[in-house]
Amino acid sequence: MKKIDAILLKIFLYELPILVFYAISIAFFGLETAAKENVYAKVWYDFGGLLIFGSWMAVSICISIRLIMSSSFRCNVLSKITFLKEQDEREVVLTGQAAKTTMLTTLAILIFLFCLSCFQFSVYRIPPEQAVDGKNRVLTLGFDFKLLDDSQQKGSSEDNEKADIISYSALPISSSTVIIGIIGWQIISYNYLMRRAMK
Amino acid sequence: MTKTSPQLKIINRLNVFRAEHRLTQEQLAKEIGVTRATIVAIEGGGYNPSLELAFRIVRYFKTDINTIFSVEEETE
Repeated sequence: MKKIDAILLKIFLYELPILVFYAISIAFFGLETAAKENVYAKVWYDFGGLLIFGSWMAVSICISIRLIMSSSFRCNVLSKITFLKEQDEREVVLTGQAAKTTMLTTLAILIFLFCLSCFQFSVYRIPPEQAVDGKNRVLTLGFDFKLLDDSQQKGSSEDNEKADIISYSALPISSSTVIIGIIGWQIISYNYLMRRAMK
Repeated sequence: MTKTSPQLKIINRLNVFRAEHRLTQEQLAKEIGVTRATIVAIEGGGYNPSLELAFRIVRYFKTDINTIFSVEEETE
């Protein structure tokens, strides 16, 4: 099992920079459109998408399951992603402190993001005939919490009459971005705290 | 009113013993199986070793634990 774990981890780590390069070539160099005209771009587009991204995702799922199940694998991954290996008891203590601080700051970020995702406010203008005491600007504050994502939201005819001035409902970033942000935060925060404590 | 136990401070004379045995921090660290940073931290009072490590240290110097490590009450 240790050999398989090592292979999985190597695939995961070595494919990551290729994947980043692939994502950059799609986002900034228009690889998708270039693939329709250029044969090399098409090969890179297909190879990157199918082989690299596909295998990386499959390996990521396997690694996630192994991370949950195996404590020795967790230690192995930790030393790989932080480039630090616990060499004695003091470093084990420092690891614990860094992990605790990272966990608590991540919890704080998650609570903050939860509040932001539930909070809603909007300032809008209503038609003059609906104005109250001659005031046609309305501020609404709301709290929206849904356990299940319901994307089929239909605007009523009343909503169409409103002219939005400022409107905020939930976070303007995708859940994938939030998850990547939190993963990045965990790794950076842990690394920073460990290195600072080691000095 | 709850009775709080006094704060204890662990004092060590590791640097004295190390100097007497003409050892560098690196050499001592290698002998007892820790990093040099840990020896630096113990000598500077920034880290209190576990009982296991404390006994490894005193066993290396062939002495008893009270000669290297002692405890004093911290006054506020």
